[in-house]
Amino acid sequence: MFALTKANLKIMIRNRHTTFWALLFPLMLVVVFGIFRFDTADSASIAIYEDTNTPTGTAITEAISELAFLDTPLSVENELTAITEIKNGELDYLLSIPSQFGQDQGNGNLLTRLQLRVNPNNSEQNQLVEAAIQSAITILLTPEPTEVTSFSLEVENLEVSQPRYFDVVLLGLVGLGIMTNSIISIAVKISTYRSQSILKRLLVTPLPIWKYFASEIIAHLALALVQAIIILGVGILLFGARLSGDWLGLILVILLGSAVFLNIGFLMSAWANSPSAASGMGNAIALPMVFFAGTFFSTASLPWVLPYIVEVLPLTPMLSAMREISLENASIIEVWPQILTLSGWIIVTGLAAVKFFRFN
Amino acid sequence: MDDAIRVEGLTKQFGSFTAVDDVSFHVKSGEIFGILGPNGAGKTTTLEIIEGLQKASSGHISVLGVDVDQDTKAYKARIGVQLQSSAYYDYLNLEEILDLLGSCYPTNLPATELLKQVGLSEESHKKVKQLSGGQQQRFTVAASLVNNPDLVILDEPTTGLDPQSRHNVWDLINDMQNNGVTVVLTTHYMEEAESLCTRLAIMDRGKLIAVDTPQNMISRLDNTYTLKLELTDPPNEDQILSLTESSTSIEQIGPTTYLLKVDKSPTSLDHILQTIVTTEMHLKHLEMNPVTLEDVFLSLTGNELRD
Repeated sequence: MFALTKANLKIMIRNRHTTFWALLFPLMLVVVFGIFRFDTADSASIAIYEDTNTPTGTAITEAISELAFLDTPLSVENELTAITEIKNGELDYLLSIPSQFGQDQGNGNLLTRLQLRVNPNNSEQNQLVEAAIQSAITILLTPEPTEVTSFSLEVENLEVSQPRYFDVVLLGLVGLGIMTNSIISIAVKISTYRSQSILKRLLVTPLPIWKYFASEIIAHLALALVQAIIILGVGILLFGARLSGDWLGLILVILLGSAVFLNIGFLMSAWANSPSAASGMGNAIALPMVFFAGTFFSTASLPWVLPYIVEVLPLTPMLSAMREISLENASIIEVWPQILTLSGWIIVTGLAAVKFFRFN
Repeated sequence: MDDAIRVEGLTKQFGSFTAVDDVSFHVKSGEIFGILGPNGAGKTTTLEIIEGLQKASSGHISVLGVDVDQDTKAYKARIGVQLQSSAYYDYLNLEEILDLLGSCYPTNLPATELLKQVGLSEESHKKVKQLSGGQQQRFTVAASLVNNPDLVILDEPTTGLDPQSRHNVWDLINDMQNNGVTVVLTTHYMEEAESLCTRLAIMDRGKLIAVDTPQNMISRLDNTYTLKLELTDPPNEDQILSLTESSTSIEQIGPTTYLLKVDKSPTSLDHILQTIVTTEMHLKHLEMNPVTLEDVFLSLTGNELRD
């Protein structure tokens, strides 16, 4: 069986064309999402906590309101509430003007420190906003002969629990890549082997046929892992994705999901009459699932019973377990419902594949 | 000598269609046994049942002393199989394919030795697609020997090959027999069956029509010779009549060309030549052929052997 697995891996590596495109497709999407930065909203929301009751405080608030790419600032009474909103991703910035701003501290020094709290996920936008606020206030303070002629803007990156969209999508793309590759490559391969009598040739040997299938599955699981590592590697190294958590747990979820899709591939090959039909069937199964399982968009807004159907598609638990593990630091035990669903899928698709598989 | 294969009353039905109809034959150890018949005669189905790829509807088969219904694995390890038109992995070279197939058996021969045996040592790192048709066929023969089998089953080993390549494959099959391997093969080439096989089974439309040595089959026919006469001028009616009287059958195949079947009595040839002289026919060309399996097949089935 080791020899068979080795030969299978060799075949996949030499079948560069298929393997290359299988990998390139999700990678292209990684690049697209990395470049387009869907995280960056057109305008950013800002809240101002101002407790000075001085003309300077009011003037600063007005100056900020005039910044074109910022939403009209909300005046907040409670700093802590606004901080929580940033942490939940509901608010982007909080500018705090302390009540003693511009006043003598009692030691002859004026208090000139402003505080800007930000969501660190939008690092590029943050630099822009910071610079804009900086210059707006500088312009404001320079011509008017107020007591405050200089100030400092202290930026604080808050710890944000809400993950970046890119990180969410990156994990979705790992799932997408593994699903399409597993379903289509197995379906096409097996129907090719069937049409070339290779399956028959194996059947006339005394080899127990389960060993052959086991070797195919092991080789494909190994490929799925390599695929996941490359996609995640590109996302992390090139586009600064921030993933953490239990990597072993992530690998386990990837392998379970991959096993479901391999079974589906075997099942497709049983129904397809030719390798090209197998490819078409694989795509027809895989592509709708990409959208319905929330690879790119949240599926919460789907109408009617669709959200419930979506929940049981095999890609959904795979993606949600991967996201909970890598973005929310969940342990493998905490994602037990997804593991259970995936295991159920493995059993159901495995039994169906065994029942419907045909050698010629 | 033991029988390598015993087939008793084998029948295979696909729905209402009977592909193999009550077929019985024995293959003796060490012989080259040919199954001859046109496409659709049931040859491949018969072989696939022997190989364990299909189940018989009824009948009893044993291979190398093992009942095929009892223990498939026991004899699969000892038979070598070449399937009809089997392609091999596109992305592995010859040596790797043989290693892979070998790994499916408890015992196997080294790939280099097998490739040397079929004259493909130079090509060991090529892919199957890079080989010529003849080389591909020799490779599939090598692949059928990968487990050092006692019995080799070849399904149409020379179909589609040029004469040179066909003779190469025949040499390989004769080598197998010399090494003590029993060979069963199917073919629809008469000359292949005649020159290669120790014994022969003729199948047509699912039925077994005859099993014998090629020589016995031929000598069972009364018409042993076929004469092809080409005359200088078209014969008149009297001349044709006298030719007809001195042969068992006559057929015109060209303007002045005739095929005559002549029985094998000692005087019959003499008689025909006398007739030609006395009726003043002039020969442009004369060809004499012994009866072939083609004739045997025709007389047994009433059909031409369709390709």
